[in-house]
Amino acid sequence: MAMLEVAELSAGYLGEDVVHDVSFAVAEGEAVAVIGSNGAGKTTVFRAVCGLQRPSRGSVRLDGRPITRRRAHDIARRGLAYVPAERHLFPDMTVAENLDLGAFPRRPGPERRALVLGLFPRLAERHRQRAGTLSGGEQQMLAVGRALMSEPRLLLLDEPTTGLAPTVAAAAYAALTALREQGLTIVVAEQQVPLAFGFADRGYVLESGRIQLDGRVAELEDNPDVQRAYLGVA
Amino acid sequence: MRAVVFDGVVLGLQFGLLGVGLTLVYGLAGVLNLAQGQLAVLGAIVAALRIDAGTAVIPAVLAGVAVAGTVGLVLDLTLMRPVYRRRGEDRVLLGLLLMLGVAFIIDGVLVWRYPIEALTLRIGGDPVDILGVRMRTGSLLASAIALGVGAVLVLFLRYATTGKAVRSVIQDEEGAQLCGVSPATVRAFVFALSGALAALVAVTRSMTSPVTVNAGIDFTILALIVAVVGGLGSVSGAFLAGILLGIVNTVSAHYIGTYVTTIILLGAAAVTIVLRPSGLLGAGRE
Repeated sequence: MAMLEVAELSAGYLGEDVVHDVSFAVAEGEAVAVIGSNGAGKTTVFRAVCGLQRPSRGSVRLDGRPITRRRAHDIARRGLAYVPAERHLFPDMTVAENLDLGAFPRRPGPERRALVLGLFPRLAERHRQRAGTLSGGEQQMLAVGRALMSEPRLLLLDEPTTGLAPTVAAAAYAALTALREQGLTIVVAEQQVPLAFGFADRGYVLESGRIQLDGRVAELEDNPDVQRAYLGVA
Repeated sequence: MRAVVFDGVVLGLQFGLLGVGLTLVYGLAGVLNLAQGQLAVLGAIVAALRIDAGTAVIPAVLAGVAVAGTVGLVLDLTLMRPVYRRRGEDRVLLGLLLMLGVAFIIDGVLVWRYPIEALTLRIGGDPVDILGVRMRTGSLLASAIALGVGAVLVLFLRYATTGKAVRSVIQDEEGAQLCGVSPATVRAFVFALSGALAALVAVTRSMTSPVTVNAGIDFTILALIVAVVGGLGSVSGAFLAGILLGIVNTVSAHYIGTYVTTIILLGAAAVTIVLRPSGLLGAGRE
């Protein structure tokens, strides 16, 4: 059984659908990339899956249970953590407070905190600093770290490398790979396709709000259309 | 002069508590609760009626605070629902108008049913000498309660898990949802808290002067000024603003006259908005 199952999902803004009939599934332990250009609808799909937005049609199942009409905070408590591209940190709270809130409504366990700080030692150095004063890369680490505090089983990341220097982006994917090896299921939306392909097992290509292609990363890499559009191969 | 300033601090601590309720509700829900003062008076009148009926003072006061808190909660769960479905300016305007309506209704019902009711709590005991100023026990008790409740509130918001959840919704509602915080639950909680705090302020005010059925509008205006000067959404700002404005209030009342104090307070608010649009401390930092 798939851990996350999205079926014929349509969603948009102000009554106008931006994504149409999107279906995909993610099995436990998988790493999946959703690629597509700016405006293809990746963010809308993620927002509809995690409950920040009501889909106009279709269904979303987590562990076989429907979560389509559930609210975002409820879905978060069921083990699905979403890291939006804009990060949505609490800028006037410290790094430590942001992490604590990630575990809400429980108090964070010391092992969890140690795991997150081990993954992002920078956050330990900045523990008492306000989140709003962190650099872009540090804010991204904090956003991922905060999401991990709830001990999620499924992590959705939207454009985790936006605005990051290439070395920082590579470090971010190194951290994601480490998380995968610990058994976390990860879905990542990414415009920097080589980075995503270096990380994921399978991929979906989203264009104009529809899934145009899907398959194993190796197959997608060999696809001439994908090469032309996303990998810079002439 | 010193005695006047002390009186200002006594008053200011209570202003602060009144402003805190308003500022939290605005920060969380985008609703300017124009019925804040009416909730305060409602609580006071419930307490007064209980006392008239023979209930002991403390249970009567607690009943008043509980009723005001419950009315706050019910307003959030019913009348405010359509408000929360809107965004931006729409939400602020609809919230403003609905709460203004609630203010008129509470005022009207209280004046109609209990026109001469008032809460006066006489605190016995001799005046106490503090730094050369003789302070009435009523003033001291009122200040102690306001300080104590304010301190508990600040500690709660800073350290308690629920308190952090409240701040998280003020700072980034979507971020809070992604952490598993339900904004609707937090809002309902804070609406109830704000009603209870308002009633508590009416109770402490009644220790130094009677709180009458038509005092609601004065409380509301004070709460508004305090919240704006302190920065809407800022708890420590509201307390700071409350104390400053309390001192401004008593000093101007003493040296110029009571009739100008509201004008001077509004003037202080206007100057703050011009010089520091986000208030003394800015929102959300506790």
